[in-house]
Amino acid sequence: MIGYIIRRLLTAVIVVIGVAAITFAMLHYVAPSPVYIVLGTKATHRAIEVWNRQHGYDRPEIIQFLSYLNNLIHLNFGYAYKFSQPVSALFRENAGRSAYLSGTALVLSLIIALPLGIVQAVKRNSPGDYAATAVNFTLYSMPSFFLGLILIQLLALDLGWFPPGVSDTVTSTLSAITHPRQLFLPIITLALLNVAAFSRYMRSAALDELAQDYIRLARAKGLSERGVLMRHLLRNASLSTITLVGLSVPSLLAGNLLIEILFNYPGLGLLFYNGLTNLDYNVMIAYTLLGAILTVLGNLLADITIAAADPRVRLG
Amino acid sequence: MPTPALKVHDLTTEIQLSRATVHAVGNVDLEIGEGETLGLVGESGSGKSILGLSILGLLPGGGHVTGGSIKLYDRELVGMKPRELREIRGNEIAMIFQDSLSSLNPTKSIGEQVAEPVRLHRGASRKEALDRALEVLELVGLPRPRERLSDYPHQLSGGLRQRVMIAIALACEPKVLLADEPTTALDVTIQAQILKVLDDLEQRLGMATLLVTHDMGVVAGRSRRINVMYAGRIVETAPSEELFTAMRHPYTQSLLGSIPRLESDASKPLLSIPGLPPDLTNPPAGCRFAARCRFATDQCRAQEPPLTGSGEHFFACWNPVDGPAVITVSKPAAGAAPAAAVAASVISEPAPAPAAAPAATNGSAPLLELVNVVREYPVTAGALLKRKVNSVKAVSNVSLYVNPGESFGLVGESGCGKTSLGKLIVGIEKPDAGQVKVRGEELFKKRGGELRTARRVVQMMFQDPYGSLDPRMRVRSILREPMQVQGIGSAKEQDQRVRELLGEVGLPVNALERYPHEFSGGQRQRIALARALVLEPKIMVADEPVSALDVSIRSQVLNLMKRLQSEHGMASIVISHDLAVVKYLSDRIGVMYLGRLVELGTGDDIYRRAAHPYTEALIKTIPVPDPAVEKAKADVGIRGELPSPIDPPSGCRFRTRCPLAQEICSQQEPPMRRFGPSHQAACHFPLQTPEPETAATNGAGASAAPSLS
Repeated sequence: MIGYIIRRLLTAVIVVIGVAAITFAMLHYVAPSPVYIVLGTKATHRAIEVWNRQHGYDRPEIIQFLSYLNNLIHLNFGYAYKFSQPVSALFRENAGRSAYLSGTALVLSLIIALPLGIVQAVKRNSPGDYAATAVNFTLYSMPSFFLGLILIQLLALDLGWFPPGVSDTVTSTLSAITHPRQLFLPIITLALLNVAAFSRYMRSAALDELAQDYIRLARAKGLSERGVLMRHLLRNASLSTITLVGLSVPSLLAGNLLIEILFNYPGLGLLFYNGLTNLDYNVMIAYTLLGAILTVLGNLLADITIAAADPRVRLG
Repeated sequence: MPTPALKVHDLTTEIQLSRATVHAVGNVDLEIGEGETLGLVGESGSGKSILGLSILGLLPGGGHVTGGSIKLYDRELVGMKPRELREIRGNEIAMIFQDSLSSLNPTKSIGEQVAEPVRLHRGASRKEALDRALEVLELVGLPRPRERLSDYPHQLSGGLRQRVMIAIALACEPKVLLADEPTTALDVTIQAQILKVLDDLEQRLGMATLLVTHDMGVVAGRSRRINVMYAGRIVETAPSEELFTAMRHPYTQSLLGSIPRLESDASKPLLSIPGLPPDLTNPPAGCRFAARCRFATDQCRAQEPPLTGSGEHFFACWNPVDGPAVITVSKPAAGAAPAAAVAASVISEPAPAPAAAPAATNGSAPLLELVNVVREYPVTAGALLKRKVNSVKAVSNVSLYVNPGESFGLVGESGCGKTSLGKLIVGIEKPDAGQVKVRGEELFKKRGGELRTARRVVQMMFQDPYGSLDPRMRVRSILREPMQVQGIGSAKEQDQRVRELLGEVGLPVNALERYPHEFSGGQRQRIALARALVLEPKIMVADEPVSALDVSIRSQVLNLMKRLQSEHGMASIVISHDLAVVKYLSDRIGVMYLGRLVELGTGDDIYRRAAHPYTEALIKTIPVPDPAVEKAKADVGIRGELPSPIDPPSGCRFRTRCPLAQEICSQQEPPMRRFGPSHQAACHFPLQTPEPETAATNGAGASAAPSLS
C-alpha cells in the first residue's frame, strides 16, 4: 500500500514536470518575456534588453526552463509582476478561500446527490424520476456562469434574499466562513452543477446494483426495503461514484474560476483571471501546475478510498 | 405422508412487461411435507425459478401472483401484508440461490451476512448473532469457521461460498427451504459435498425442501417425488422411481433420453428434442409441448391436456408414452418436426462410423503431439518494481498425441488447466517449455504468413455462445472472416462456402443476414461450430461446447458435432468438466488434475477400468439420473477443495485429497504407467494392475497404437 502510494506520487512528479514543460513552451511562444507588463508597451528597446538581461529572459529557453524547474523544487513559483508579490504568497492567501468554496460545494452536492440518485433508481421511471432527470439534464448542460446569473437575478435582485456578490469585507478565509449569507449563492451554484452530474451517475450505479443477486438475497432474508438500501445497496452503489468525485476535484478548481469572477470572490480563480488579463507569466504557469497536481492527487485519493471501501480491490 | 409444511394450489404467476405479459407459471399444484424433499425439474424458462420466487413473494418487477394459493401450514401467503411476509422470509421460509458469487454482498464479511437474519428475526445482539453464525457455518461444514468470519466472499472458493449461502438460509432454522439450482455452478466433486450437506441438514432439522434444478441426476437420489415443469406448467409428477422408470409424458421421456450417460453406448445418437420451448408471452393454445412432440396430434395442438392419473402419478398428456424411450435408428414421425429454424434431424442421426480409422500404421506421425508442455502464469508482487514472485502452474509436463480423425476428450474440474491446454493446442498461447507439434512441426517456430497458414489446421469452438460471437457482425461476416483473413477464394466462393456450412449445421439461409442476438443459445453454438469448420481444419478444439446450453438443446448440438466430425474426417479435442459429454464424443479421454495429466485411455478404460483414484472418484461423484444408483451412493467421493495451483502439493498433486495416499506420494512424482494398449495413469497405488515395464515409456506419446476398442 505504502509502496503503491510512493509509486503513484513518483508518476505524479513526472506528470507535473511534463505539464510545466508544455505550459512553459506555449507561453514562451506567445510572448518570450513578461517585460511589457512591467515596463509598459512604450518602453525603449534598450530598457527592454536591460530588463531581460537582469531577469534572465535573454538566456536560451531550455536554460530558462531548467532554472524554473530548479525554483519549483524549492517551492518558488516566481514573482507576480502585476501584483508585485511572490506567486507562492499570493496562492497561500487565496487557496484557503477557494478550498472553502469548493469543499463546501462538494460536500453539499454529495449530501444531495447520493440519496437523490438512489431514490431515483428505486423509483425509476416514475413521474418524480422523470422530473429529477429533466432538472438534472437542464442543470448539467448549463454553463456555470449562466446558472449563476439566473440565481443572482432570482434570489438576489428579485427576491433580495442574498447579496448578489461577495462584498469586499470578505478578505480572509475566516471571514468567508463567518459570512455564510455572502457565500450562499456561489456555493449553491457550484453545488447544483455537481449534483446534476453525481446524481446521474449514482442513479445508474444504483440501478446496476439493484439488479444484482445479493439484493434479492437481502430481501429473501426478510430485510425491509429500507434495510436493503441502507445496509446493502448504499455502499456498493457509492463505489463507482468515488472515482467520479476524485476526477472532479480539478474541475472544481476550473468551476471556481467562472464562479469567482461572477461573484467577485477573491480566490485562486479570480487571481488567475487577473493574471491572464495581465499576461502575468508565473501566475498562469502556477495555476496550470496546480490543476495538474490536483488531477493526479484526486485520482490517487479516489483509488485509495476505493481500496478502503471495497475489500475486493487491492492496490499494487 | 408427513404433515404438509407448504401447500401450493392452482398457482398462476404472470410477469407484466411493457408490451406483453409473460405467462410464467400456470395452475401449479404442489405439496411438501416436513422433512421431505420435492424435486422440481425443468429447463431454463420453464418457470421453475419464478415458482420459487412466487412462494417468497420476491417476484421481479412487473411480476405478480394472479391466482391460486400458497399455504405455509395454515397461513395463506398470497395477499399477505408485506410486513408479515417479511417476518416469514429468511425466518420460516429461506432460499438458496444459484450463483454464490453474485448472491453474496461483496463488501460485507461473511460473518455479518450470516448473522444478519438472526439479528433481524431473533432480535439477537451483534455478539449473539455472530455466535450463531459461527454455529451455522460449522454446521454446513465450512472448515475453520472462526478464522473465516471476517473473510469477504471473494476470498472463498465457489464451494465454500455455497456453504455460506446455505448457512444464511439455515441461520433461523426455517421450516421450508427453497433451493434454486444450489449446485449448478459447482464442480461435480464439490457438488457432491454440498448435496450431502443439504441431505444431512434436511433430516436433522426436519425441513421441507423444494429442490429446483435442471439436472435429473441431482434430484434422482434425494427427492421422494419429482415434478417436471415445461413452459410454466407441471407436465408430470410422480414418485422418483416411477418417474425414471415409467414416465408417461413424452417431454420427461425425451429429457431423460437426451442426457449422455457414462454407461450408455457412445455409438448411438442421443435422443434429442427438436426446436425450442414456446414463447410464454404468447403460449400455444393446446399442449405447450405439442410443437416439439413426436406424438402430437391435432387434439394436442387444439386442447390443453389436464393433469390426470392415479395414485401418486399424474401427467398432462393426450397421448402418453409408456416408460423410457427405446432408441432406434428410425425416421421421425412425419410432421412431428416443426418448421422452426433448427435442424430437425432427431433420432435419425446416422450412427457415426467408428472414427475414420486413425492412421494406425506404425511409424506415421500423429496429427497433434504435445511433448512435456508447460504453461505457467506469473504472479507478481513488489512495492516499487514488480517482480515475479511465483507462478500459477496451469499446465505441467503434459504429453499426449492425437491421431488423424480421432476424437480426444479432456476432462477435469475447473482450475485443472484444461482450458489453458486448449489454448496451447490452438496456438493462442505459447508454451513456456515443451513442444506443441502439429503434423510434426512446431507452430511457434513459424513466422508471418507461414504461421497464418499453419493456423488453418487447428480451429476452436468456444464455450460461451454469447461472448464469442461479435454482436455487431452479421452471421455472413462472422463465417466469412476466417476465409478473408486467410485469403481463401473470391467473395463469391466465400459466400458459397458459407451457405454450404449453414446447411451443414442446420441453419436456414436467411440466417446469413441476421445478428447473433437474434438466435437462441443452441443456434449460436451451431454458428460457432460453423465458424470453426470454415477453414476445413484437421483438428477442432471445442472448449465446453455445450455447457451453456439446456439439456434438450445440448443433445442436438452433441449429435451434430459428432456427425460433422465423422463426415469431415476431422480430429477433435473436446474439453469439458462433464465426463459424460466427453465420453459421448471421444474415442480416448485424458483426465487432468491441477495441471497434470493423471490418466489417459479409451472411454471404457476410464469408465470401467479407472486406474487413478481421482478418475474413479470423479466418476463416482457424477449424479446419475437413476434413483436406485443415486441412493446407493454412500460417500461423497472426494473430500476437500482443489489445492492452489500457485503452490501445488509435492509429488503426486492429488495426494492431499486421495484416500490411498502414503508417504511416497509426497516425495515422488508418479510416472505414467501402462495399463492396457492405450491406457495409462500416473499413480503410485493404482486401482488396476499395471502392465510389466517394457522399454522406457516416454510419457504418453510413445506408441501410436490405435485407440479404439
